[in-house]
Amino acid sequence: MRFVSFRSATTILATTALLLIATAPSHAQSRAETLRYVTGASVNTLDPNIPGATRESFGLSMSTYDRLVSFGRKQLNGKWVFDLDTINGELAESYDVSPDGLKITFRLRKDAKFQDGSPVTADDVKWSLDRCVTAPILGKAQLLTGSLTSADQFKVIDPLTIEVTLPKPDKLALPNLATVYPMIINSKLAKEHATADDPWAMAWLKEHTAGSGAYVIESFKPGEQVTLKRNEAWNRGSPDRPAFFKRIIVQSVPEPATRANLVERGDADIVLDLQASDVQSLEAKGKLKVVSTPQYNAITYVSMNNQIPPFDNVNVRRAIAFALPYEDMFKAALFGRGMPLYGASWPDGKPLNGIYPFQQPVKLDLDKAKEYLKAAGFPEGFSTTFSFNVGWASQAEPMAALIKESLGKIGIKVDIQKLPDAQMSTLINEKKLPFFTEGIVAWLPSTDYFYRNFYTGNQRWNYSSINNPDLVAIAQGARFEPDKAKYEEAGRKLNAMHFDLMPQIMLWQPNQDAVMAATVEGYTYEFHRQVDYRNLSRK
Amino acid sequence: MKTGLGATIVRAGRRLLSSLPALFGVLVFTFLLMRVLPGDPAVFFASGPNAGKEEIEQIRRQMGLNKSVPEQLVFYLSDIGHGNLGRSMMTGQPVLKDLRERLPASLELTFTALLIALIAAVPLGVVAALRPGSIVDHGVRLFCALGVCVPTFVSGLLLIYVFYYLLGLAPDPTGRIDVFTSLPPQHTGFLSIDFLLAGDFEGWWAACKQLVLPAVSMALFVIAPLARITRASMLVSLGSDFVRTARSIGLSWRKVVVTYALRNAILPVITIAGIVFSTMLGANVLVEKVFSWPGVASYALDALLSSDYAPVQGFVLLMASLFVLVNLVVDICYGIADPRVSIE
Repeated sequence: MRFVSFRSATTILATTALLLIATAPSHAQSRAETLRYVTGASVNTLDPNIPGATRESFGLSMSTYDRLVSFGRKQLNGKWVFDLDTINGELAESYDVSPDGLKITFRLRKDAKFQDGSPVTADDVKWSLDRCVTAPILGKAQLLTGSLTSADQFKVIDPLTIEVTLPKPDKLALPNLATVYPMIINSKLAKEHATADDPWAMAWLKEHTAGSGAYVIESFKPGEQVTLKRNEAWNRGSPDRPAFFKRIIVQSVPEPATRANLVERGDADIVLDLQASDVQSLEAKGKLKVVSTPQYNAITYVSMNNQIPPFDNVNVRRAIAFALPYEDMFKAALFGRGMPLYGASWPDGKPLNGIYPFQQPVKLDLDKAKEYLKAAGFPEGFSTTFSFNVGWASQAEPMAALIKESLGKIGIKVDIQKLPDAQMSTLINEKKLPFFTEGIVAWLPSTDYFYRNFYTGNQRWNYSSINNPDLVAIAQGARFEPDKAKYEEAGRKLNAMHFDLMPQIMLWQPNQDAVMAATVEGYTYEFHRQVDYRNLSRK
Repeated sequence: MKTGLGATIVRAGRRLLSSLPALFGVLVFTFLLMRVLPGDPAVFFASGPNAGKEEIEQIRRQMGLNKSVPEQLVFYLSDIGHGNLGRSMMTGQPVLKDLRERLPASLELTFTALLIALIAAVPLGVVAALRPGSIVDHGVRLFCALGVCVPTFVSGLLLIYVFYYLLGLAPDPTGRIDVFTSLPPQHTGFLSIDFLLAGDFEGWWAACKQLVLPAVSMALFVIAPLARITRASMLVSLGSDFVRTARSIGLSWRKVVVTYALRNAILPVITIAGIVFSTMLGANVLVEKVFSWPGVASYALDALLSSDYAPVQGFVLLMASLFVLVNLVVDICYGIADPRVSIE
């Protein structure tokens, strides 16, 4: 009896050992082919067009859907970033822009297939683009910036050719088609799930994908985790090769310290949203790869409402611009990780170029600030509140304290107001905040786009609520300006106006710190500021 | 015994009925509270780089915010009547589905934590009460004080740092299960039970390992009230006449302490355990955040920060119902622990 049990025990042990030996390498193998990406945010919809979609959902959709075209990449100070000026075909094999710039003709790849195996046709493209400009979705407002407004503009020429007509030669039409929203959907599949109330299958596409992208959704737990598996038939990346990783795990980990631990221990492969202090210490340890790219399409501001006294007085705004402790703020908020937009020197008092955002010739100069304040009629200063949102506290809190201290020296008494995110956005939208810090991001960062969207009109993104007809006229004119030299001239004029009027103060462009395992390669900073999983591979 | 049980059930039923108006009050109150809070959810969610007035209006329509508050309340109540808690903007899912998926995670964690806390606290309290003023008593007091004064997220982060980061003993603190383990078929939602039902012991072990650190950091925080209450009521009960009598007639130590003293002392502990349980369920946001635990509390906090009305309302309703339920269970436990309670 004893002998038997001993024998069975040994058998079990031996089998377990064998199993362990047998499974261990294959497990390691699959780990190397899996990318585990941890993030503080989460994916809330599989269709990025749904109002309320998170940035993480935008990033995901780049891999689950293809678009007609995509941005190329370029090196900026040794880091790979997206290139607005290089537009490559994705589902389009090639495209032609007519000489007058009013027609763009796309020829589709013959071999492109949706994930269910059906071919991608011009009808699918038309349906998808129609959806983007007609359905009540996010794509509508985006495509508007590229003069794409009506379904009549998209015409099917033959099953593999589609023609886009423009009312004006808009430089941003083509780049707009490479953004997140105008993704190409399998129209037959989507139509099967459309209803009379929901002709564009919004409800179904929120939970399901019908694309041709590099990755197929394996499981989707909103707010927690998404797992993707590679679409072996996908070949829109490097020639004749699917994406590198066989499996992608996108996992929400709310605590930044935990994310830092995970990537340091090698359990996670890549993370974007760590605290600046953690990034610095991880970089110092040197075990991981840290790719810091200034977010060259994003800007952090200290904004003043140009309609509310005393900030309606240009000299008050100038006084503030010379009373901010830029260097200290930059170090305290970002640990110096970013691109400063202050402290330029303009030898002849004119902007150095016509590119926005630009470095302004402002620096901490309390005497100058006091002069401006006197000129404004506030020699004794005044009281105001400075607001920021809770979600930004780690950066904004030290900033606010430094601003309070520095403005106190010229007699401006500042109360710091910390607002929950939803309340902050509401107050900004209603134009009720006098003095605050916020950031913006533009997917298509061209000078006229910035001025048209962030310095025009009574809308949320015009933080400073500036209302200057000359500025609007120049920016609108620049939009359709085909001549590069004239465009540059318009840009210089706008930048000079910005410095003169000082509607708000550009502080810096924060770095995006991508921290990844030393073996991960190919990271590129994309316009949507998320990881594009298709770019990555492992050594 | 049967009459005792019957009385308990009748009492429980009466309690349940009398709590319905309170639940309704909670419902209406939370609804109004959310509307009074500053912050327009539509503006927050319309945050794409080009979202303008039109998008904001559309989200407002989608959330039903374009109607007047009384109208919204009527719609909300009729929805609740149909078992519909609305849709979360944050996750894009129906709130009921979200809560159903997340509640087992919170419950599993809270039950485990409470179990750990009780297993640790009751013996500690008893030991302290048996030797009041001794080194042991002071030791217990020190331990309890430490447990209470270290906030749960600090102890959580410390535990992660030591057991995951330094020693590598614990699995990565990211949710209920290692991302590479496949999930068992869902029956109860409690992973530790579902894995057992599926006969997957490796998975069960993985799920338990994930559970240990968050449960311990939560337990540390609630050991103190439980141990202190046990000690206090044990002292009373040890000093009472029946214990003196039991001792004098020479009953065994075990019989005196466990059967007579402890059983009489356990009532306040049950009460406190019930309260502690309800509080833990809602208040373990920090632990859930630190360990990326997909529970209801962190879900509600995220929703609150973004003024996402439906999930917050759903969460408060859920908590209120659970509180009623916990009170019921506590009542029934009373009846079992001390049959005298059932006599009215």
